[in-house]
Amino acid sequence: MEAGVHGVAERRLSKAMGGALVDALAMAALLVAVGLVLTMAGVAPQRTGTHAAIILTAVVSLQIFSGNTGIVSFGHAGFVGLGAYVVGLLTMSASVQASALRNLPTLLAGHEMPLLAALGIVVVLGIVVGVVSGAPLFRLSGSGASIATLALLIIVYTVLVASRDITRGSQPFYGVPRDVGLWTAIPVAALALAFARIFRELPIGLSARAVADDERGAAAIGIDRRFTTLFAWAASIVVAMAAGGLMAQFLGAFSPKDFYFGLAFTTLAMLIVGGMTSSLGALSGVAVTTVVIELVRRVEGGGEIGGIVIPPVFGLTEAVLALSMILIIWRRPEGLCGGRELNLLKRLGLSGPPTAAAEPPARTARLTIRADGLTKRYAGIVAVDDAGVELPTDCITGIIGPNGAGKTTLINMIAGAVAPTSGTLAIAGEPVTRFAAHRVARAGLGRTFQNIRIFPRMTLLENVLVASRQVVPGLAAAERAAMRELTRVGLAHLAEQPAGSLPYGLRRRLEVARALALDPAFLVLDEPAAGMNPVETEWLTTMLAKVRAERRIGVVLIEHDLKLVMKLCDRIVVVDHGRVIAEGTPAEVQANPDVIAAYLGSRTSARVLAQTEQETKPSNPTGEFSHA
Amino acid sequence: MRDRRRINRHLAGLVSAAALMLGAASPAFAEEIIVGVASAQTGGLAPFDQPSLAGLKIAVDEINAKGGFGGKYPVRLVVKDTRSDMGATATITQELVDAGAKILITPCDADPSIAAGQVTQPLGIPTLTFCGTAPILTGAVGDVMFGTYPGDNLQATVLANYAYDQGLRKVYLLKSPDSTYTMRLPEYFGEVFTRKGGAVVGEGSFSMNQSDFSAEVTKIKNLADKPDLIMTAGYEPDFPAFVQQLRAAGVSTPVFGADAIGTGTILGLGKLVDGTVYTAAGYATPGSKLAAFETKFKDVTGHAPESAYEANGYDIGLILDTAVTKADSVDPKAIRNALASIEKLEGVTGEITYAGTDRMPLRSVALVKYQDGARVFIGTQVPAAAEVPAP
Repeated sequence: MEAGVHGVAERRLSKAMGGALVDALAMAALLVAVGLVLTMAGVAPQRTGTHAAIILTAVVSLQIFSGNTGIVSFGHAGFVGLGAYVVGLLTMSASVQASALRNLPTLLAGHEMPLLAALGIVVVLGIVVGVVSGAPLFRLSGSGASIATLALLIIVYTVLVASRDITRGSQPFYGVPRDVGLWTAIPVAALALAFARIFRELPIGLSARAVADDERGAAAIGIDRRFTTLFAWAASIVVAMAAGGLMAQFLGAFSPKDFYFGLAFTTLAMLIVGGMTSSLGALSGVAVTTVVIELVRRVEGGGEIGGIVIPPVFGLTEAVLALSMILIIWRRPEGLCGGRELNLLKRLGLSGPPTAAAEPPARTARLTIRADGLTKRYAGIVAVDDAGVELPTDCITGIIGPNGAGKTTLINMIAGAVAPTSGTLAIAGEPVTRFAAHRVARAGLGRTFQNIRIFPRMTLLENVLVASRQVVPGLAAAERAAMRELTRVGLAHLAEQPAGSLPYGLRRRLEVARALALDPAFLVLDEPAAGMNPVETEWLTTMLAKVRAERRIGVVLIEHDLKLVMKLCDRIVVVDHGRVIAEGTPAEVQANPDVIAAYLGSRTSARVLAQTEQETKPSNPTGEFSHA
Repeated sequence: MRDRRRINRHLAGLVSAAALMLGAASPAFAEEIIVGVASAQTGGLAPFDQPSLAGLKIAVDEINAKGGFGGKYPVRLVVKDTRSDMGATATITQELVDAGAKILITPCDADPSIAAGQVTQPLGIPTLTFCGTAPILTGAVGDVMFGTYPGDNLQATVLANYAYDQGLRKVYLLKSPDSTYTMRLPEYFGEVFTRKGGAVVGEGSFSMNQSDFSAEVTKIKNLADKPDLIMTAGYEPDFPAFVQQLRAAGVSTPVFGADAIGTGTILGLGKLVDGTVYTAAGYATPGSKLAAFETKFKDVTGHAPESAYEANGYDIGLILDTAVTKADSVDPKAIRNALASIEKLEGVTGEITYAGTDRMPLRSVALVKYQDGARVFIGTQVPAAAEVPAP
């Protein structure tokens, strides 16, 4: 019965994917409609439309990568060029090849393929080229990766110029049959646009957007940044090369300089005008730019309107284009669409948030995180010194200690965010020493951060979905699991809101929900109550106690609110100067003379500890602990 | 029912009347000939296309004052800006064709000219590039495409002939793969030079805008077989940088260049470029047609021509006038055939011949030498067609 319900659920589309498909169809239909109008308008408008559709495909390729990963790419223009040369070579007639490319290697000569077959080869080649060229992105992120794409542009250009026997070098490459018309360019553009729309809802697209928003936060829920970025890069390179293939057959003659900085900046500008983070942005950017150019350039040639002679003003197009770009970016920094998708279903009220899934079964096996001799040295400073802790499931462990004691470094080492200088770490008996954060997360550790790391540009649902889909097979089921966690933290009604719009306290809740969506064996919370008012703290305490009771997971928390720690925790680990100085039940720790002497030190602090002890026994309103 | 039929008949009558009127009107319009100009008035090619268009406009105004091409076909220039964009060039060409252009002018570069030529070739509309110099340009499109400016291979031939005649026998070629011009022109030079009996003793390569030529200079200085001259098609800022560093290293070998170094900046190098010979589309000696054109240009526009492109643009007007006069028709195919048969037309820049060529003109190329901070005109040459290396 249970399996049957699951089966049905998995076959069904996720809500987000359903919405994406409808949007994709709507945008494709729009393109076809525009195509029909242009077909009736004559040959010249058809050319304009064809060129715009090809540029759209190139801009979409850029959107797939830059829009999802947040890495601005200058390199795509080069790969458009690569696609153009490949299609040019494969579709060229043998007789033209013989005269224009005398030293062409025989492997490349005389294929005379139809366009579609050549595009097929371009797609396969695009995957290979994408994976190989994406290698530098493995180690880089942010502006470093952007500069790497710039280098790739220069490399591709140089290779094209240097391969004289194949490309005619810097000279025009000509003789490519011109079979691309409106009805070749529009279907390809529609396909690319639909792919881009769907891509962002796919697990890989979600992961890429999460990485773009917060790299460490993404790693904490098991996302492999390197794989994600590489995948998005390769997928976008395939589209870019296909755009190039169309361009080759549209132009018939070109040279490497046509796919250099000029094209890179034009496509990038269009994408920024429309809004980088959505496929609708790519579409609107190209549409607006094309319409502005077409309108203004009809005026700039001069002429007579109503008896008034207007002199030609060449450069007007560029001026108006530049001005409108500045206006758009000034008035709408996120682009024309503000980074939003069409979301037709949601706009028409045809799609609500998904229903919440049932609770996963409680953990029965007792697992342990075991750390032995964990040490972290930063230059001469020892942040954590030979720390050994055991953190079991079905237990709430508090880690306390004064500021700078090494608590956060300790749990960062446990979570894989910081590599230990020495020592070993095992989760449930499996060694995870020096594992990257995303692998530790996959081993069953969910965490939150001292300085909240949610994904502000994604919706609340997406924030949690990107975690739940790591453990729940099928996007539809993952969506419902995400809803369950949002409901748990009381945020279900805000599921479709962007996370960036949440106030501080709710962001903390969202981060907890995201960590729980991983269905972790261990939940590590770094100062979860920081900045919360007493009511919110109370809510958090209750929620954590409930989760622990229901799921039997191990909760580990660093907290300065001693009242909360003493009330909530089963065990307490006390850290000072990077060493574990005491371990035990709250009562044992509070009675430990070492803790009183070493951790608290002064007479004043001893008084505070005694006071805390008093307060935590009966319930008492105030209890914020402060370090003297 | 009957009413409907009557209206239909009425409509049909109206339509056929309109068609008749249009048909009758056609010969009246045929008197005018539209020359479509798909030129880059903005963007990277504007520095070449703007002066070319300025020259062409003066020619067209003069021709129209005499009644038009052949004295009877008034010319209407329809100018559209391609923004130096290839896709836009093809589209604009189509628009100009749709607007009835019988002759098309394309930008100063091979790529967009080929893109435009591919639109006009199936329609048989003669197409002339303002100043694209890549010799493959015409072959890449077909029989409607014509060059007007001296091709890279033509310039190289004139320069190589001159060098050889001066007794120079060993050349060092300095090339840059960054553009066709900087790459192929020295190669054409080498081809002609060796065919005549000279030798290429070394080759070097540079990146445009690289500014540091010390490696190249050291290489040239240490050549076992010392060259008699160095040939390069590099221009600003590479050419001045190279020459300065070469002379600073104590190498006094003369450096030859092509038409792109005929600028005030290079002239300003003074002693450094003593002995440097370069090519030009024409040279305005006192009393020459070019000098007369320059005066006329200044009268019309208020400023002197900035380059040779104005004169070349003016010559395009003369070429078209000659072709239409010869064809005595506004039929594009007839004009094309007339164009292809032009022989020894006296333009302001010199003699222009299409007959017997692959439509890159065989035309006079001027040779100029820098000496003591001044330009010295050496002479003009029209090489034999057989001497010009194949593209």
